Amino acid sequence: MFKLIWQVFREQIENRKLIYRMATFEIKGMYQGHYLGSLWQFINPAIQIAIYWVVFGIGLRGGQTINSDIPYILWLLMGLIPWFFISPTMVQGSNSVYQKVSLVSKMNFPVSILPTIRIVGNSFQFFNLLLILFVLLLIYGVELSIYILQLPYYIFSLYVFLFAFTLFSSTLSTLIRDYQSFLQQVMRMFLYISPILWNPAGSQVPDWLTNVLRLNPFYYIIDGMRNSFLGDNWFFDDIVYTLYFWVLTFVILYFGVKIHMRFRKNFVDYL
Amino acid sequence: MKTKVKLKNISKSYDMLEKKSDKILNLFSLKSKKNKQFLAVNNVSFEVREGETIGILGLNGSGKSTLSNILARVIEPTEGELIINGEPSLIAISAGLNNNLSGLENIDLKCMMHGLTEEEIENVKEDIIDFADIGDYIYQPVKNYSSGMKSRLGFAIAVHTDPDILIIDEALSVGDSTFAQKCLDKLEEFKKEGKTIFFISHSAAQMKTFCDRVLWIHYGELKEFGTKDEVINNYISFTKWFNKLSDAEKREYKKKMFQKQIKISEGYTQKQNRERSLLSQIANVLLFIPLLILSVLIVLGY
Repeated sequence: MFKLIWQVFREQIENRKLIYRMATFEIKGMYQGHYLGSLWQFINPAIQIAIYWVVFGIGLRGGQTINSDIPYILWLLMGLIPWFFISPTMVQGSNSVYQKVSLVSKMNFPVSILPTIRIVGNSFQFFNLLLILFVLLLIYGVELSIYILQLPYYIFSLYVFLFAFTLFSSTLSTLIRDYQSFLQQVMRMFLYISPILWNPAGSQVPDWLTNVLRLNPFYYIIDGMRNSFLGDNWFFDDIVYTLYFWVLTFVILYFGVKIHMRFRKNFVDYL
Repeated sequence: MKTKVKLKNISKSYDMLEKKSDKILNLFSLKSKKNKQFLAVNNVSFEVREGETIGILGLNGSGKSTLSNILARVIEPTEGELIINGEPSLIAISAGLNNNLSGLENIDLKCMMHGLTEEEIENVKEDIIDFADIGDYIYQPVKNYSSGMKSRLGFAIAVHTDPDILIIDEALSVGDSTFAQKCLDKLEEFKKEGKTIFFISHSAAQMKTFCDRVLWIHYGELKEFGTKDEVINNYISFTKWFNKLSDAEKREYKKKMFQKQIKISEGYTQKQNRERSLLSQIANVLLFIPLLILSVLIVLGY
């Protein structure tokens, strides 16, 4: 069972240059014909952030902070910036095989890199936004602690999870088209049940509900990233939760690789 | 001469399912009742040596494209043994260009996907632009192209990616005669270099000048494979005979042939694997146990 997983990983590594070049092409093609070009990569999230901030920050919270040291807008950004990467990547990555297989099936092309191309393509915006977040933290004078060192760990976890999940669901969504529509709705729901706009661990929420919400793998990642900025504890302090996340990721990866390998030769038949 | 391509009892069948839900059940092999299958290619065997040019003839829907897709390794045959010594490259009309990118960027992208390095792309770029000969349109997005321009660009890219075995699926029928001639010249060049070419076309004239041997595929079966004059003449006399039939007779004939391609198979032949699959099913279930334990721990607040 590890042999197949290793084979898929090796395909990614062997084709890393191809992945990178195709990802940059994809971005170029995305905003072709727009007058503002790739500036839309920043305008889009900026508008959405403004809406969420007005509705949740000013409207519902009346400008209150979630924890007293840091303005709500910064707290919000720490959740929204990963989310702007996660949500489109999940949806587009799952659709990538269905979308592209007719193009690449006419040649000897490793289909397993199609979801990865989407992940890499969306990463450029993610890292740029992270950079902006660091600048904003500097402007607001927020001091970072030693815990910021675990940010690369959480980013790594996010990538492994996205890889496993998009590999799994890109196969499923090619076989069963209803899945893609379903996933889109589920991702919309996840925005509200992850610690992005509000704090599910806050005092007004019952403990059992917080615990159920923690089963969501994005909870682990987004909460962990925010933790890296605001500094509370290390990821290995909560060993059960960390173990849960990795076991879940492995199960998804295992089944993702399994069904991908089983159907990769027949993708064209299912179009 | 050494054998380049060898097909042994190759068949490709598609499930003919009445309901959409049957597809899902089939997918997970939950259902093993009788199912209807359509044999697009039925028990085809032939051998092609290096440097040969093979024409493939047949009526519409007789399985030419399915066969060319099998040769190009785009689809897997359901049964049979396929030996291909080399890298096949399929040139079809819908060459898979990205509509939003310009012609130039498409050249980059397609070459990249074919596995060329940046250096190699720089080297062939000029040749491709030259061969496609679409002027300043090369800087325009492909969505503004005419269908002829698209096929020109597609063909130009495909022949410059240094294929080993070429499979040309009616790609020449869209371009005008000057471009078709240009392509034929290029193919002649490939022939001289000793490349193996499969040529699918409805034009008997093109085939006669160009091919060494011709293969006639008729409703999924290999009807004839031999010297070009013989097969082409037989094919032409068949189409003449067919065209003389009345409409009702034509329909009757088609129906009869179509029936022959349908096969009722007795479910999936997975019985011998059942024991092994049961074991892997158990392994799959076992995988969920640690996940479940951890989930319960988290929900209970450990």
